[in-house]
Amino acid sequence: MSLSINGLSKQDGSTRALDRVSFDVRDGEVLGLFGRAGSGKRALFECLAGLRRADAGVVTDGETMIPSGRRRHSLFYIPDGITPWPDQTVGFVLQLAKNLYAAPTGKRAQVIDALQLRPLIAQRLGALSTEQRKRVLLALGLITSRSLLLLEEPFGGLDSSQTRNVSAAFRAEAARGRTLFLSSQQPGDLVSVCDRLILLANGRIVGEGTFDELRALSRLTDGTLDEVYLTLAATPPR
Amino acid sequence: MTLRWLFKKDLRELAASRAYWLLFLMLGPLVGHAFIAAVQSYAEKSGGSGAVGFTHGLNPLDGILAPTFAAYEPAVMLLLPFAAVRLLSAEKESGALTLLLQAPPSAGAMLGMKALVLLIGWIVAWIPGLIALALWNGYGGHLDAGEVANVLLGLALRGMLTIGVSLAAAALTSGTASATLLALGVTLGGWALDYTGATRGGLAHRLAAYTPEAATRVFEQGELRASTVLAVLAFSLGALAFAAVWLRPALGLRDRALSTVAAIAGTAALAAVCASTVSPRASVDVSESRRNSLPVADESALSAMHTPLRISVYLADDDPRLADLEREVLRKLERTMPDIAIHYAAKRRSGLFGQTDSLYGQVWYTLGDRRAMSRSTSEPIVLQLIYGLTGLTRPAPDDEPPYPGYPRSTTPSGAAAIFYLAWPLVAVAMWWMVRRGISRTK
Repeated sequence: MSLSINGLSKQDGSTRALDRVSFDVRDGEVLGLFGRAGSGKRALFECLAGLRRADAGVVTDGETMIPSGRRRHSLFYIPDGITPWPDQTVGFVLQLAKNLYAAPTGKRAQVIDALQLRPLIAQRLGALSTEQRKRVLLALGLITSRSLLLLEEPFGGLDSSQTRNVSAAFRAEAARGRTLFLSSQQPGDLVSVCDRLILLANGRIVGEGTFDELRALSRLTDGTLDEVYLTLAATPPR
Repeated sequence: MTLRWLFKKDLRELAASRAYWLLFLMLGPLVGHAFIAAVQSYAEKSGGSGAVGFTHGLNPLDGILAPTFAAYEPAVMLLLPFAAVRLLSAEKESGALTLLLQAPPSAGAMLGMKALVLLIGWIVAWIPGLIALALWNGYGGHLDAGEVANVLLGLALRGMLTIGVSLAAAALTSGTASATLLALGVTLGGWALDYTGATRGGLAHRLAAYTPEAATRVFEQGELRASTVLAVLAFSLGALAFAAVWLRPALGLRDRALSTVAAIAGTAALAAVCASTVSPRASVDVSESRRNSLPVADESALSAMHTPLRISVYLADDDPRLADLEREVLRKLERTMPDIAIHYAAKRRSGLFGQTDSLYGQVWYTLGDRRAMSRSTSEPIVLQLIYGLTGLTRPAPDDEPPYPGYPRSTTPSGAAAIFYLAWPLVAVAMWWMVRRGISRTK
């Protein structure tokens, strides 16, 4: 799914959470959203998913505008740090997601295998470790039939082995034509898995492109994503 | 398909809820205490223990059924809101609601499923009450199926109202604690208003007629009144509509405010229409003793009378004679006569001993251009007066047999063991088994 976001703005009290944010999401890509805490990543995802109302801006699919109330049919957002239905087992929650979000046949089993969840199936969500819970949440998103997934801190709490595993699952989903939009404040993970990156600082976009393009933009040819981000964030808006 | 899974999820969430199992557990001793006291009191009135009984007209609706199910009053006010609020607030706090609001079913459909599951849970919680009725039957006591069904319908509607209010409170607030406080504020507020209305006159007395407690009393009196049923349904659905407005994501402040006003105004209008336009005659007297009806011969004569009857009552709201007059005469006439208007004309709405009006205590009946006054609250005397105004002779009573009364002097044997000992054990065992079943789902 390809989307164009134009002039998205959101005021949170006295804070400008989003300031005329515009960018494109291309079909079948893994897009990364990088920014420090409080940069507006969550506000952007919530507005895109239609869970919060933006003060201004439009989201279009080609020529067609998608109003916030209809975005749940094509987008799915998994926030970080939630523990939905802690009294229910992993197996039931994934079965619920399969039936609630119209997952294709066989998708549940495929995702369970890809994220190595089979040993956790009979455990309660509330009894899982942070790392295990994160994998279940990612599985919830991957099970849905939505063509664009918005995943917040998808690698948060994962060890290096599980990070590799999850990255491989994301690449496999993208290869099947699904678009993934990942937000994180951990630069290393995003660089390794994303096709392109969007840098967000104080609610505005300070850079967009591949990692190499962003390095060139910041004139830091050997810089890390963190260094590139800090340089671009310090550049006054044009 | 999606609704079925929402239903399944909510059912499992309710079954996993400690608040619900606490309600389930506590209802046993509550109902048991009420039932045992009712059986003992009924036995005394029936002439047991050597006491002189007044068995004529003794009826199980007042003696057993209503007092036993009155034990559900604290449960519906204080315990059910906890279970109902938790079903929505827990999803808000855990983040599950964020996922649900991105699913195809609307917020209204989601709330509808929750309300349905909670209603089923509430009906399951009637088991102690039904056990009490089975015991009474086992003691050789009499029960009328119509009266039992009517009391249970009232209990179901009362539960629906509490569920609606609790879900609305949970939708409006961000946490379980604040939602529960708000829901309890509403349910306890209704009870306080009902109590104040019963002890004081004036506006409080008028408003108390619209509390859930007043609605429950209609069912406990053996009357199935259309306006009461429709008004309770309207308020319950209105509360759910209000909750749906507050759950809808990405709604602007102006749109949310307008939708809220529309939901409240729609509910109030619907309830007012139900209460005012649905005829008082749209009511069924399901009591075996026909306590809410005039004698059959009078009913048939008065229902054919199309001349308007106007009644002016000079009694204060807190005057016990007014309650007698309403129960014994006015309500029955309203249910029977096609054109009747009652005007409460006392200048002061309260203060029985502070009345200075010389008309105080009088009730004036006007039929066409003829008027008559009576101070009586007795049905035969008032009927005689009305027939006098019409110029007709009161018809001879039909051959309907008088209500025999069902005295029963018995002891509540085994009830204490069942409700105080066995029930808590069964409730804990059921909780453990259900929780084990939930945690084994793969």
